[in-house]
Amino acid sequence: MAPFVGNVAQDDGSSSVTSSPLKTFSLMSLSPPAPYSPWLRELKSDERGLCLIHLLLNCANHVAAGSLDRANAFLEQIALLAAPDGDAMQRIASHFTEALARRALRLWPGLYHALDSARAVVLPLAEAAAARRHFLDLCPFLRLSYIVTNQAIMEAMEGEKVVHIVDLNASDPTQWIPLLQWLRARPDGPPHLKITGIHEHRELLNHTAVRLTEEAERLDIPFQFNAVVSKLDNLDVESLRVKTGEALAISSVLQLHSLLATNEGAAGDARKAQRAAPSSQLSLGEFLDKDHAANGHSPSTDSALSSSPVATSSPARMESLLASLWGLSPKVMVVTEQESNHNGAALNERFVEALFYYASLFDCLDSTVPRQSVERLRLEKMLFGEEIKNIIACEGWERKERHEKLERWAQRLDAAGFGMVPLSYYGLLQARRLLQSFGCEGYKVKEESGCFMMCWQDRPLFSVSAWRCKQYD
Amino acid sequence: MKAAPSSTHFFGIREDDQYSHQTTPQLQPSASVPTPSSSAVASQSSAPPKKKRNLPGNPNPDAEVIALSPKSLLATNRFICEVCNKGFQREQNLQLHRRGHNLPWKLKQKNPNEVRRRVYLCPEPTCVHHDPSRALGDLTGIKKHYCRKHGEKKWKCDKCSKRYAVQSDWKAHSKICGTREYRCDCGTLFSRRDSFITHRAFCDALAQESARLPTGMSTIGGHLYANRGINLGLPQLNSQLSSLQDQPHPSTDLLRLRGSSGSGAAQYDHLNATSFRPSPMLNSSPFFLGGNEDPQLLQSKPFHGMMQLQDLETNTNNASSSAAAAAAAANLFNFGFFPNNGSNGGNNNNNHHHHHHQSGHLLGPNQYANVGGGGNTEPMSLFSGDLISNHADTNMSSLYNPSVHPESVMPQMSATALLQKAAQMGATSSGGSGSGSLLRGFSGPSYSGGGGRHANFRSGGGGGGGGGENESHYQDIMNSFANGSGGVFASVNEQVSAFGGFNHGLQLQEMEEEKLQRNLSFGGSDRLTRDFLGVGSMVRSMVGGVPQREQHLGMDMGSVDHSEMKSAGSSSRSFGGGRLQ
Repeated sequence: MAPFVGNVAQDDGSSSVTSSPLKTFSLMSLSPPAPYSPWLRELKSDERGLCLIHLLLNCANHVAAGSLDRANAFLEQIALLAAPDGDAMQRIASHFTEALARRALRLWPGLYHALDSARAVVLPLAEAAAARRHFLDLCPFLRLSYIVTNQAIMEAMEGEKVVHIVDLNASDPTQWIPLLQWLRARPDGPPHLKITGIHEHRELLNHTAVRLTEEAERLDIPFQFNAVVSKLDNLDVESLRVKTGEALAISSVLQLHSLLATNEGAAGDARKAQRAAPSSQLSLGEFLDKDHAANGHSPSTDSALSSSPVATSSPARMESLLASLWGLSPKVMVVTEQESNHNGAALNERFVEALFYYASLFDCLDSTVPRQSVERLRLEKMLFGEEIKNIIACEGWERKERHEKLERWAQRLDAAGFGMVPLSYYGLLQARRLLQSFGCEGYKVKEESGCFMMCWQDRPLFSVSAWRCKQYD
Repeated sequence: MKAAPSSTHFFGIREDDQYSHQTTPQLQPSASVPTPSSSAVASQSSAPPKKKRNLPGNPNPDAEVIALSPKSLLATNRFICEVCNKGFQREQNLQLHRRGHNLPWKLKQKNPNEVRRRVYLCPEPTCVHHDPSRALGDLTGIKKHYCRKHGEKKWKCDKCSKRYAVQSDWKAHSKICGTREYRCDCGTLFSRRDSFITHRAFCDALAQESARLPTGMSTIGGHLYANRGINLGLPQLNSQLSSLQDQPHPSTDLLRLRGSSGSGAAQYDHLNATSFRPSPMLNSSPFFLGGNEDPQLLQSKPFHGMMQLQDLETNTNNASSSAAAAAAAANLFNFGFFPNNGSNGGNNNNNHHHHHHQSGHLLGPNQYANVGGGGNTEPMSLFSGDLISNHADTNMSSLYNPSVHPESVMPQMSATALLQKAAQMGATSSGGSGSGSLLRGFSGPSYSGGGGRHANFRSGGGGGGGGGENESHYQDIMNSFANGSGGVFASVNEQVSAFGGFNHGLQLQEMEEEKLQRNLSFGGSDRLTRDFLGVGSMVRSMVGGVPQREQHLGMDMGSVDHSEMKSAGSSSRSFGGGRLQ
């Protein structure tokens, strides 16, 4: 009854007439019915976009200055134009305003925490996992990162009989399944493979473990999965169970930046304690202080603009993790990070950086995924939107999305005793082949002094770089 | 490794709902391509099964196409025994039955030579299988299809209340119902693990989605709101206008206007809702102006363009005279690039004229000319949204999304392109040559602000303070979009020269002060020239703009009294001086 299978899929198609409320809505927001609002209807997408940019910048201004009345007025304006399912700029605006609103709300810690604690319950792990999965499926970046990372690992592990891979975020087996296949196809036969996966949620780890074990069995590779349920920032290196004689590879995909979190805006935390007492006056003043400080900073040089007060030395957590990873003397450590500077001290700085960065990300979705796609909405909301919120609305330890550019990672890793391993041309070829199969013109992979930049159009969005312990001799 | 839509395989069937309108048309052509004369079945089996799974109904082109009526499709027993009226689903069965009645019977022999196959159409016109190219290959299939998709679900499972249209489906379900079940938190029961998992991935999202839909509505709500804002705004503005006319001191009225806008966001809304009105409104006549029969207002009506440009003056006045709200209002008015401010600017402007016994006629043309001389040949269209888009079209075509939205007729600018454009606008204007340059549109208000200030100077209404506020406005609009200092600087100079172009006895001293202020306040920006995206200057404008405004705000607090407005230029100059620190 083969046709039946088909029927199911097919008939879903036929039901599209009834099943697309989302589409209707998105269309509505694009071209609202005439009687309602002439001005809104007559705003073209571009005009609206420019208007939104302008409003957002002004709003950020006011939020940064703590002048909530005005921020509120702008938020209202933006709300008229933004839409999470509109064009790219509308979508971006809707996420940035939410972030700004959260930021503004922080001036009332009571309100903020009341809302936030409710939200923490609502936000299910599965949602976040699904969003990440969409990121994997809708954009090529993660897959690019995986394939480049795997290629670097393959090259570093050539001829090794016992291979141990530490995955700093083992929420997903997708990265390793091709590696298993590659290892199996090695001319000198597959090695003994151990993968240590770190993640704070056991369920996801288990899923990864099961999936990889199955695959290894199928391929008949000696395999062991070592699950470490832990957050990255309090990782016990002992639990990785790295043994002598193992060739170690470490893979970090969009993980390291969270360790840059410090209490430093904190200025922030100490103040927050004070702020608990209703003294918005103080916070307004303190915002101004901050702005003045940044004001004094930014004009000096380009790099100063990107780096504000963050000194060359890494925050303690980062330093200790890098030190302990270095202590394991990995043969290779492959790091993928967001190529943007979202770790500036001043909100305004971060806001504009993030605006540009996420504009690119939303653009690539806009050009490859239909607007009404639920996956896209979820990805934008649950992954990008959450990141944006974190960048804009959080400070101190809470601010985890401290993306930094490769340049700074290179300094940091270098300072921690790692030397760069240039990624191979073969890796680049593989990445490009993957992009070809993805079939969208806008994505590019560029080589930049031994590292790869994954770009949308010409803007680098993610960097991949490979490192190993420096040889001191 | 898949293009985006193919993520389907992971998310399962549900997703098809979302993609269906997209994927079906895409798939259809390939399905309707007639397979070469060899049998369709053969080609089907030889092709990769994965692809073919989505293409049911790939009939042999020379198959006989049969369209059955819904009635005959739904009839369970089409073949009736004329003796006992017993119905049969198949003719063969009836023939065998007839044998029992000793009636003549004949089993049809399948003729192996007769390769002619039959395909069946779904009678439902909206169904894809209504198209002969997508006809289904067997009668049972089409019947079940028709029942499942277009029929009533009359078979209900007693255990789980799930309904089926096809009895056999119901039977199959009944056998396993309850043996294995997966219950989602949302209350839905699943007997199949895979559908449960698929559902789980969507359940939360769907809940959120449905929760979110009202916000999708919000655009509509927004329109209503805005509309209401306008309606509300009308009488308010009118009353304000009349009060403006009555009272000798415009500053009070300004204050009141500001005060009210400061008092609530709704007020902002109506102001901006009005101000959002597109250029046609201005070209005709802003309704509240038209509605107001005051001769003074009518008089100045022909100079809408000018009045619009004068909006900055409003800010000027506010800055020097009014309270904290002024700054906010000024910012709101920063929509400078939309036709907006004409309304408010016009009002205050008129009011201003009134106060100073300066006819709109006198002031108008001059400014008009001046602004034109600054490179804007069409001041009116300056603010029209069209300019923006035209500009966008010419300048940014390379940045358009290569996009996939077949529904949008016009190419649409990507968010990146918009941001770059916003950043570029400063740069293009710095040349000071391109009349089409958008920043010109942006800086237009500033120029005219200068003009407005000029009026102010004459009136002694606080030129310095006004300049300061104007400057923050300037910063907001220009700097937030400006690229490097080069641009900003140039336009500062330009502005100064625009001042110079005024015949209206602009006092050099004040001009110098202006210049000084500007240079100082923009001084920082020039170090950002290398920041080619303009990010830096945006940051800067944010960083720099805010405290300044705050400071200013604090200073203005003291000057709430409208009489201050009337105070000599010297005092306002001291405002300006204060701001320099």
